[in-house]
Amino acid sequence: MKPAASILLLTTLTGFAYGLLAWLGLYGAAGASESADTLVLAGIGIVLALATLGLIASALHLGRKERAWRAMSQWRSSWLSREGLAALLTYPIVLGYAWAQYRAAGSLGTRLLGGIAALAALSTVYCTAMIYASLKPIRQWHNPHTAPDYLIYALFSGATLLALLRTIVFGTAGIAAVLAAFGALCALVAKLAYWRHVDAQGPLATLASAIGLPKDTTARPLDAPHFSENFILREMGFQIARRHARKLRRIALALGFGLPLLLSVLASLGVLPLLSTSLAVACAALGLLTERWLFFAQATHVAALYYGRRI
Amino acid sequence: MSAKSVAYTTCYMCACRCGIKVHLEDGRLRYIEGNRNHPVNRGVLCAKGSAGIMTAVSPARLTSPLRRIGPRGSGSFEAISWDEALRTLTERLAAIRAHDPNRLALFTGRDQSQSLTGHFARMFGTINFAAHGGFCSVNMAAAGLYSLGGAFWEFGEPDWEYARLFLLFGVAEDHDSNPIKLGLARLKARGAKIVSFNPVRTGYSAIADEFVAVTPGTDGLLVLALIHCLLESGHIDTEFLIRYTNAHHLIIDAAGTADHGLIARDAEGRELAFDRRSGALAPAQAIGIDPALTGSFALPDGRHARPAFALLAERFTAPEYAPEAVAERCGVPAATIRRLAGEIAEVAFRQPVVIEQPWTDTHGRRHARMVGRPVAIHAMRGISAHSNGFHSCRAIHVLQMLLGAVDTPGSWRYKSPYPKPIPAGAAPGRPGDRPAAPLTAAPLGCPTRPEELLVDAQGEALRLDRAFSWEAPLAIHGLMHMVIARAFEAGPEKIDTLFLYMSNMAWNSAMNPGETTRMLSTTEADGSYRIPFVVVADAFASETVAYADLVLPDTTYLERYDCISLLDRPIGSAHGPADAIRIPVLKPERDVRPFQDVLIEVAGRLALADFADAQGRPLYASYAEYIVRHERAPGIGPLAGFRGADGQALGRGEPNPQQLQRYIDNGGFWVHHLPAEQLYFKYANQAYLTGARAMGLIGSSEPIVLQLYCEPLQRFRLAAEGHGPCVPPQRLRERVRRYFDPLPLWYVPLEQAVSERASYPLHAITQRPMAMYHSWGSHNAWLRQILPENRIYLHRDLAAELGIEDEDWVWVISRTGRVKGRARTMSGVNRNTVWTWNAIGKRSGAWALAANAPESRRGFLLNHVISEFLPAEDGAAAHSNSDPVTGQAAWFDLTVRIERCGAETPDETAPHPEANPLRVRVAMGRAT
Amino acid sequence: MTMVANRPPGARQLGLVIDLDTCVGCHACAVNCKEWNTGGEAARLPDYDPYGTEPDGVWFNRIHSYETGTDGSARTVNFPRSCLHCENPLCVTVCPTGASFKRADDGIVLINTDICIGCKLCSWACPYGAREFDETNGVMRKCTLCVDRIYDETLPEAEREPACVATCPAKARHFGDLADPQSKVSQLVRDRGGVDLLEDLGYRPTNKYLPPRQAQIPSPAREAPARSGSGLGTALLKLLDKALSR
Ligand SMILES: Nc1nc2c(c(=O)[nH]1)N[C@H]1C(S)=C(S)[C@@H](COP(=O)(O)OP(=O)(O)OC[C@H]3O[C@@H](n4cnc5c(=O)[nH]c(N)nc54)[C@H](O)[C@@H]3O)O[C@H]1N2
Ligand SMILES: Nc1nc2c(c(=O)[nH]1)N[C@H]1C(S)=C(S)[C@@H](COP(=O)(O)OP(=O)(O)OC[C@H]3O[C@@H](n4cnc5c(=O)[nH]c(N)nc54)[C@H](O)[C@@H]3O)O[C@H]1N2
Ligand code: SF4
Ligand code: SF4
Ligand code: SF4
Ligand code: SF4
Ligand code: SF4
Ligand SMILES: [Mo]
Repeated sequence: MKPAASILLLTTLTGFAYGLLAWLGLYGAAGASESADTLVLAGIGIVLALATLGLIASALHLGRKERAWRAMSQWRSSWLSREGLAALLTYPIVLGYAWAQYRAAGSLGTRLLGGIAALAALSTVYCTAMIYASLKPIRQWHNPHTAPDYLIYALFSGATLLALLRTIVFGTAGIAAVLAAFGALCALVAKLAYWRHVDAQGPLATLASAIGLPKDTTARPLDAPHFSENFILREMGFQIARRHARKLRRIALALGFGLPLLLSVLASLGVLPLLSTSLAVACAALGLLTERWLFFAQATHVAALYYGRRI
Repeated sequence: MSAKSVAYTTCYMCACRCGIKVHLEDGRLRYIEGNRNHPVNRGVLCAKGSAGIMTAVSPARLTSPLRRIGPRGSGSFEAISWDEALRTLTERLAAIRAHDPNRLALFTGRDQSQSLTGHFARMFGTINFAAHGGFCSVNMAAAGLYSLGGAFWEFGEPDWEYARLFLLFGVAEDHDSNPIKLGLARLKARGAKIVSFNPVRTGYSAIADEFVAVTPGTDGLLVLALIHCLLESGHIDTEFLIRYTNAHHLIIDAAGTADHGLIARDAEGRELAFDRRSGALAPAQAIGIDPALTGSFALPDGRHARPAFALLAERFTAPEYAPEAVAERCGVPAATIRRLAGEIAEVAFRQPVVIEQPWTDTHGRRHARMVGRPVAIHAMRGISAHSNGFHSCRAIHVLQMLLGAVDTPGSWRYKSPYPKPIPAGAAPGRPGDRPAAPLTAAPLGCPTRPEELLVDAQGEALRLDRAFSWEAPLAIHGLMHMVIARAFEAGPEKIDTLFLYMSNMAWNSAMNPGETTRMLSTTEADGSYRIPFVVVADAFASETVAYADLVLPDTTYLERYDCISLLDRPIGSAHGPADAIRIPVLKPERDVRPFQDVLIEVAGRLALADFADAQGRPLYASYAEYIVRHERAPGIGPLAGFRGADGQALGRGEPNPQQLQRYIDNGGFWVHHLPAEQLYFKYANQAYLTGARAMGLIGSSEPIVLQLYCEPLQRFRLAAEGHGPCVPPQRLRERVRRYFDPLPLWYVPLEQAVSERASYPLHAITQRPMAMYHSWGSHNAWLRQILPENRIYLHRDLAAELGIEDEDWVWVISRTGRVKGRARTMSGVNRNTVWTWNAIGKRSGAWALAANAPESRRGFLLNHVISEFLPAEDGAAAHSNSDPVTGQAAWFDLTVRIERCGAETPDETAPHPEANPLRVRVAMGRAT
Repeated sequence: MTMVANRPPGARQLGLVIDLDTCVGCHACAVNCKEWNTGGEAARLPDYDPYGTEPDGVWFNRIHSYETGTDGSARTVNFPRSCLHCENPLCVTVCPTGASFKRADDGIVLINTDICIGCKLCSWACPYGAREFDETNGVMRKCTLCVDRIYDETLPEAEREPACVATCPAKARHFGDLADPQSKVSQLVRDRGGVDLLEDLGYRPTNKYLPPRQAQIPSPAREAPARSGSGLGTALLKLLDKALSR
């Protein structure tokens, strides 16, 4: 699948944002004290900024941006609709939570709102994940890993952000660094498990079955309908060299999960916390962008079979 | 509210002549669909036809008459007025005509108004006229006309309704694009078996039930092996042979004499046979005799003669025609050939088609039913485009005759107005008695004896292209592919104006575009061009337009009247005669005029007979008028339908001023359905022949005897042996003697015989892409998306051996040059054959495409490695790369080798002549 | 509401049956489709760079060719690909706007280009590559089963069929109601073993494809001598001995 910059940006940014929001919500839900106000409020500011940026990026991807509002109507069947709705609903919840935290940190209502905000954040991420996970023609997406993985990456990236924020506000990352380290570990394991899974998967279909012949018939493309690249090939026929992919996978692992893990451990041990947490965020961001790029680039679409591509 | 309307006319996105229903909205094209009532396409439309609306808006359309201002080939022109263009042309032509009309050469390509262009040439008085068939499929036309009085080439069709076994030789698309597809669907629906003999398994071959990957150029041999098997197993329709062919005619056996090999005739000139019943000679056409098919019989003069069949059987039962002997050469296992012969015999003799329809033969005998052999054959350029194509096609016709599968239920059938007497038509016209006189007959004809050739006292060619000379005696369509090279050779003495219409002869119909464009732009010492004046009439900015001195811009097919006439290549079918018109559906918004109008105006200005009255006043103001009023013979005009004052006459009748309107009201065509009694056995069907004669389709209702043995060929052979007043020059004698065999013959195609096998081990051929018509489609926004570039296809195993992978750049190298393209591997191709789509490669700058369009960057023409000449044999003049009998261009004789390109060469085809887009300077004060 | 579950039982299921046994790969259906739809009710079907270096455009129907099988069973198969009007179309359920919908009464899957936001998700959800993005108008496009023809009462009855069906010179395309077991198309599917493409994915396409066949001549005459090449065969001589009558 074509890794469109706007979508990579969208999913990575909203991952950070909603991951952070989930933690902030949990903070509130856990009854965070007034001393955490700055943290929560600053965090929410960041959440809103990042989420909005992500949403704008996604709107830019649309062919008819002015009609973006219509995307909310099909929540009963469309995960994209649900994502949009969830993202939109999250705004009042977040604002309400921020307001509550500011006015009455620790109150039952605030704790409840914190919980709801966390839930909203995770739901939005889940909806995003389900957009991909529900697409049957793409085996690298349509599998049991996609949804949990998205949640894990969001929580992990949110935690690195939280650690940085906490370091800025309190001077130390504290528990957040531990969460980030743990998140990185989980993300690392999840990613490895995902790759293991997709690498072991057989193709979803054969060219023969795509053209209505018995599955085990050999079939080779002779001529494509047209010579120039067309929409299907541009969108669904994206190909990446194996060697290249292997290298990128290593980069994603090291940059996205390994380094943040190391840096978060350092931060939790109090070693140059500001530097290590900000580096962790930066690494996580670059690593996750790489991971996301691979998530698209290595995803194959059944329709590409018609053009003789391997799926 | 937009104004919607529909109009019925005839498609011209190719030469198939389908009927179309054109939808207009506010005068603009909205949609073109097939005319469901039309006899050719019955409502269907091909890809090209469907893309017609994009041709109507093509940026490549010419917009005004042009005069060249830069060097030839540069593309620099100046827009001029029609008046000026016609003045220039007429003055030039008048001057030529006054002294030597033959210095005008009029060659037309995809022309569907040959009866007009040919008549113009005749009245102008030039023998140098030809139209399209010469580089196309004259082998099919000639072999058919000299054997059956009809031909595969547009003059016949399989009986789609009843055929049970269909053999398809070397066809990718053909002129009958839609009818063949419709027909294949009908065969499929009935479960008939389709066998395709073709080196490449695409298109029709893809859906064939059996695909026989024959080696190019060997079909004749393969068919002779089938004949061998049938003779051996006795699967021959002897009854058919004696009734309808000359199989029993006695052939004089007197080697060395002037009559050897001719048919024995009695004093009245009647062919003789030996009647076994009376034990005596009898007129072969007599009924109630039991003619011998074998044996040797004494003639009254003491000489001996043998039935034609005996000669044939003797030749083809010889071991050299056994499947085992030909298998390797043909690339087809002997067992397959034997099985196919068995299947043919099975279907022909065990599964006859019986139609309960009485009919009467030309002897007045009543037949209770029509019984046919449901083996239908169709063949085209895979046979034709080889230098042995005439004989290969003859071999197929002989197979048909032996099976009794000619115009019977289930077999191949004639399309109206065929059959015609064998051979059809008169001898080619000769120059008149004074310079400005018309030719004695139409410039193209069918010579049957040496005296009818167009040669001088030394036996050398009179025509520029050497058609009807000893180099190509039966060149009944001329040698289109040679005219530029021969004009160049002959120089200004013999050629002044080369007038090309609707043919891209400097590119895809040039056997070698590099050489051809060089010849067109070569100058004499004084700076004048060696071919003095080139006029091109085209509708689009083709490669050839750039080489014109004067360009006459034509309309597109939706902007003019046209006439698809029985005098030319009509739309008749086995079911009866039909013809059609085109009408202007759109109004041109450019300064263009229909070519036919222009030609008629020029003829009028030149006061040519039949175009101007005795006072020199033009007879017709337009083609539309000519179509209605012109009479070729009394009562016979361009259109056969709705003739006579009341519009009721068929075929023959006085001109009807309302005729065009009647056609328009009828959906643009006219068709006459023959009664069931006339639908088969037309060569001997009394009712048919009488009716056809009444309609003016044929001149006589005599039976047409199918020519198993082709006597005219023997006459030319005898001349080559020195007999008669008109003999070939010494250098050509052996050649004529060898190839003018009255029985079918197979030989290694000439080009292959002279190309070194070890260096050029592969055959290279082209195919027609279904969605592209020659050079016509590349400027069409939709069609070019389908095929903007081509590949050289080769067998997977061969590719592996050569280290070539898909999309690699490779050189295709022949004895005369090399061309670069990208490779694609496949398995459905003869192991020793490479191929590509025809005419996809374009010259950079042509057709109003971007200079680096894929057509010119990656598209390539195989023509760059073909040559119009065979290598000269020690000192002798080089022969053209053509069939020695008909002059058919031998496009598919090419042999090559393939090499992977080095890493260093740029990703671009070569040769790659520099871009020469049309640059038109618009004169001051003229609207653009 | 676009949910597909609303299809009433017994509703018609209009679609195409495509015969791979007769398709010669001529592209007629593809071009005629483009022609019909370019001037049709919706916006023109765009062409990008039509006379330039990368000519491309939107097509609702594209014709592939493949080589299948090995040696004896080897074949070239031409394969037209367009929307299959699935009974279980994910392209509809993923659509966030309802622009992509399946009609309840005849099963045709359509795009309402007036509300489509061009998110392309439906094209990802279609395993058949049947949807193409229209860069010029920013919306998704696909085969409409020629709704603007098949219901056009101003057309004569016989012409109320999709453009691609009407134009196919090899008669490889058939149109009809696949829910009606008596229809011509259902019968074809039964008689010829029509199949679903990518059946395992569960989209339950309406369009069916008829597989290639191979006609045989049942019992070829087998009288040819095993060895040959020695003058006239006895069979022929016998034939020639027979009294013939002209
Ligand atoms: N290698 C190879 N070469 C071949 C062949 C092959 O198989 N292989 N095939 C050969 C054969 S069979 C043939 S017939 C020739 C065909 O070769 P050509 O006769 O050269 O045919 P086209 O390329 O169709 O060119 C015809 C010209 O007609 C013009 N034209 C189109 N419509 C109109 C119109 O309405 N009015 C006018 N005035 N002009 C119009 C086009 O612009 C074009 O310039 O090619 C031959 N060349
Ligand atoms: N779409 C489309 N239709 C056209 C044309 C076009 O350009 N485009 N051109 C028109 C013209 S001018 C003509 S002449 C006709 C020609 O129509 P076709 O006769 O179909 O011409 P080609 O495509 O040249 O086909 C030749 C076929 O013969 C095969 N072949 C080559 N050599 C041999 C051989 O030695 N033996 C056998 N058995 N097969 C061989 C090739 O693989 C190819 O399939 O088509 C007409 N119709
Ligand atoms: S075959 Fe196609 S291009 Fe040729 S006349 Fe028919 S519809 Fe037109
Ligand atoms: S073929 Fe594709 S676009 Fe058409 S209904 Fe099925 S899933 Fe949807
Ligand atoms: S591109 Fe249009 S039709 Fe497709 S899912 Fe998005 S909104 Fe729906
Ligand atoms: S049904 Fe209509 S829209 Fe669909 S492919 Fe056929 S012509 Fe095109
Ligand atoms: S028009 Fe018919 S034969 Fe031609 S590609 Fe389409 S389905 Fe195949
Ligand atoms: Mo031709």
